[in-house]
Amino acid sequence: MDLKFVPSICSYCGTGCGVLFEVLDGELVGTLPMKTHPVNHGKLCIKGWNLHEHVNSPLRLKHPLVKTFGRFTKVDWDKAIGVATDRLKAVIAAHGPDSVGILVSAKMTNEENYLAQKFARAVIGTNNVDHCARL
Amino acid sequence: MTSIQQQVHTWLEEGRVDIFLAYRMVEGHPLPHAFTRERIDETDTLVTGPARYSLEKFATHIASRYPDAKIGMVARDCNQRALNVLQVWNQLKPGQVDTVPVNCCPSLLKPHADCSYLEPKPAGHVKLERGQDPNQSLAQADTLPRAERFDRWMYEFSKCIKCYGCRNICPVCFCKDCSLEHPDLIGTGHLPPDIPIFHLVRAVHMAGRCIDCGLCEDACPAEIPLRLLYRKVNAIVKDLFGYETGSGDTLPPFSILGDKPTMSPQPLLAVSQE
Ligand code: SF4
Ligand code: SF4
Ligand code: SF4
Ligand code: SF4
Repeated sequence: MDLKFVPSICSYCGTGCGVLFEVLDGELVGTLPMKTHPVNHGKLCIKGWNLHEHVNSPLRLKHPLVKTFGRFTKVDWDKAIGVATDRLKAVIAAHGPDSVGILVSAKMTNEENYLAQKFARAVIGTNNVDHCARL
Repeated sequence: MTSIQQQVHTWLEEGRVDIFLAYRMVEGHPLPHAFTRERIDETDTLVTGPARYSLEKFATHIASRYPDAKIGMVARDCNQRALNVLQVWNQLKPGQVDTVPVNCCPSLLKPHADCSYLEPKPAGHVKLERGQDPNQSLAQADTLPRAERFDRWMYEFSKCIKCYGCRNICPVCFCKDCSLEHPDLIGTGHLPPDIPIFHLVRAVHMAGRCIDCGLCEDACPAEIPLRLLYRKVNAIVKDLFGYETGSGDTLPPFSILGDKPTMSPQPLLAVSQE
């Protein structure tokens, strides 16, 4: 019998509400609003209330997948990054850097977003950077 | 060690309880925490508040997986009322939960616990003009003409974002299949949800069940005065059936399980006549 309460931040949107995960015997069984969190003051929207469901969902992507001949195959990260690099290089060689766009997210950290735009501008050579709030 | 920390330490050590639910400070936030014999040294970090979570709801989750678990928890008055209701509805076995009472009474001698009842948030001017002031008494709420009262409630309900927070946080909402998610009862796919039916279905379910803890109102992102609504429902239950929710060990009058009704109605005179 092991019950833990793990504070975290909701990953569904940029608001960043404070949540508390209820973990029973290592299994995530519920999500609660953190009552004293300065962002949400003990309130959540329906997405935050159901965070544990997407963590436990059998549809959740847990591994990099590469699509070959119309089918997804499970690969390791090195292989996935290798495939992405080769394809990006091929597309840039054929159509120029502005044929690539980078989408970032309101739920990544500032630093990750900075890195992503740096990668777009300095490595790929395009200003095509956008984020999930405009999708 | 405070006396409560000492007491919980002893209870765990002697095996009076297997697990004890209280709070501890984590990065400046008072968060619920389960204290156990295996990690008994943690008891010297135990605090009793000031934030309020439904510890009894966690107790029901433990009990459904470990029916024989002996559970301890710190209990304010509202926690204790909820425990009574949960026992009446067979969510916890009688005597399964042992409580250390903690006092939320406001006093100049100690910082009082956080509770919307002890520290009501004043209503803003839009709410006062168009909605229902959560801090008014039932008698005050009944003084306005019927049509205006209805309009004001509809204004409140129209703000609902159907987060189900009121149900999710409620210590006495434990149904496996909740009516609020039944597509034949409540239409799906639009906001606000079907009003007032969404809120009235829940209000009817809270009759003889809601222990007036206010957690639903605290959790409502739309600041709908839910506590006031359920107080009204329970006042009717009290007037009609003489049933005091949360105080005893008898089933409320609406229990339909078993061979016969659990209580007989009182004369209808008690209902306010309009
Ligand atoms: S609970 Fe809702 S509003 Fe809060 S961060 Fe999550 S998705 Fe955004
Ligand atoms: S006040 Fe709200 S949360 Fe508390 S028992 Fe009543 S309905 Fe449930
Ligand atoms: S709202 Fe009604 S049906 Fe839903 S969990 Fe609460 S009591 Fe049960
Ligand atoms: S907590 Fe408020 S907004 Fe959420 S479903 Fe309940 S009444 Fe609607």
